[in-house]
Amino acid sequence: MRSTIHTPEGTRDRLFAECRARRRARQALTELFQSRGYGEVSTPEVEFYDLFLQSGSPLPQEAMLKIIDRGGRIMVMRPDCTTPIARVAATKLKSLPLPQRLYYDQTVFRSGDAHRGGSSEIAQCGVELIGAAGAKADLEMVALAVDALRACGLTGFHVELGHAGFFKDLAARMEMDEDEVERMRALIEGKNFAALNDLLEPYGDRPACKALRRLSRLFGGVEVLDEAEALAGSHPALTYLRDLYRELEAAGYGTWIRFDLGLVHQIDYYTGVVFRGYADGAGNAVLSGGRYDGLTAAFGRSAPATGFAVDADAVAGCLPPEESPRLELLVHFEAGQLSWALSALEGAAGGRRELSPCGTLEETMSLARERGAAGVLTLENGAERLVRL
Amino acid sequence: MSENREHRLRIALTKGRLLDKSVELFTAMGLDCTPIEHPGRRLVHAIPNYPLDAVLAKAPDVITYVEHGVCDLGVVGKDTILEQGRTFYEVLDLGFGRCRFALAVKEGSDFYGTYRTRRIASKYPNVARAFFEKKGMDVDIIKIEGSVELAPILGLADAIVDIVETGATLRENGLVPIEDVAQVSARLIVNTASMKLHKEAIEDFIARCEAELERRT
Repeated sequence: MRSTIHTPEGTRDRLFAECRARRRARQALTELFQSRGYGEVSTPEVEFYDLFLQSGSPLPQEAMLKIIDRGGRIMVMRPDCTTPIARVAATKLKSLPLPQRLYYDQTVFRSGDAHRGGSSEIAQCGVELIGAAGAKADLEMVALAVDALRACGLTGFHVELGHAGFFKDLAARMEMDEDEVERMRALIEGKNFAALNDLLEPYGDRPACKALRRLSRLFGGVEVLDEAEALAGSHPALTYLRDLYRELEAAGYGTWIRFDLGLVHQIDYYTGVVFRGYADGAGNAVLSGGRYDGLTAAFGRSAPATGFAVDADAVAGCLPPEESPRLELLVHFEAGQLSWALSALEGAAGGRRELSPCGTLEETMSLARERGAAGVLTLENGAERLVRL
Repeated sequence: MSENREHRLRIALTKGRLLDKSVELFTAMGLDCTPIEHPGRRLVHAIPNYPLDAVLAKAPDVITYVEHGVCDLGVVGKDTILEQGRTFYEVLDLGFGRCRFALAVKEGSDFYGTYRTRRIASKYPNVARAFFEKKGMDVDIIKIEGSVELAPILGLADAIVDIVETGATLRENGLVPIEDVAQVSARLIVNTASMKLHKEAIEDFIARCEAELERRT
């Protein structure tokens, strides 16, 4: 029989340092979420495909890993955490008063193209604040997003804010058909400066058109809000973002906040403020979220909601690697000494201690040499004896 | 995935035809491109008078490097972008490397005048699929790696979707282009995270490109 030694495309084994880095990021995140009053929820790894169809999930179906159950129904490996949590909020939590603060620490599965170097298992830690509308909830969420990346130990990062309402409103003023709006949206999302200009050429110089033409370039500091206002006139979305920024700045978050008014991905899903986190060392966003007031209604309970997810592996990949603690001592024990040996394992300050599985002290000594340990610990006449190598 | 590169940007350039034109553009922008023109054994070419390092790669690899963020910028043909897709910002049409994707058939054949499922040969199956999907036509697409013109001659396919520059190769093989599929030219692409994290540096580079492109028109 031919043995299979490689893992499926997009998955991999993670050893020691990588596990520790991931664990550290997840721990920092979940501790922070708990300290802000968020309670952990866990949803199944497999769900019915219909759930994501019903919720109008922006994920294309080819991105979901599918299984057919015994009854012939299509199941998917959890492709995102927010949809199942919206289902929980609208059903299991129906009798609880809102708002509810929920967090999760689980894997999502995506089916990507072969040989792209992408991962089909993504360790996501995230929060959802369900049942709270308005600026205070958005402030809490953005501040939590910044704190989440700080808690992980990142230094060079930004959280950028956009607003789904700004683009939607400008587009509505353009008398464009749906396909044309989608083409325009894709060009803005892709920051395709030249093609966007060409597409908008026939629409003249109306304020909405001027703003749309610049939209993909309107990213950076708070000054982009001024520029947008100069082009499109004052707009509730811009005022809203400016008010958020004022509060965040006063609270000391100003250095990490940027704006991108061309953040127009998944525009049918997000209904208000959207945000993304970028960190030095990661080629893609490490944090992504926003307000999605329409989602829980798909499951029969309408509630405003906002949230974000952090890609724990991407964050861990940006941090300097941490050396694993070296093997300090092997503990050699004889019959009747198990309890002593176990207690001798504890109390190691710098390095790691391990039990020796060897029968004789000589064998333990040679194993210790092979493993590069500093010494061997034995118990003789009721007293610990350290043999240095 | 990318290491700290201080503040030097890194650009991936498509080898071959587009490289000469890229160097021409950058030189006109005031960049000293001697290290790219005389590469020696080096693989990363530092521009002496601008904070930019260049690497040379095959077109699909340019996209891979930029998508993963190991290169901040890339110059690549729209043909490769259309075929590969992926996530990055496609900021500028650099205007050179112009050609088109066309649908070509054997001279005298009536491509649309049958209800039979047509078979299309192409080096660019995704481009071909998207084109016929937009038309609402269900076709068989077959991927050919080498000279696509051979497929209709041998009777393997009814038509081809391929890059056409002058049309000379098609004519020599008794094929005629009957429809344009898409226009192609070189594009400047940018990694999404780099765009945000190195905004000033990247905007400066884009502005220099734009100024030179403006001057050319």
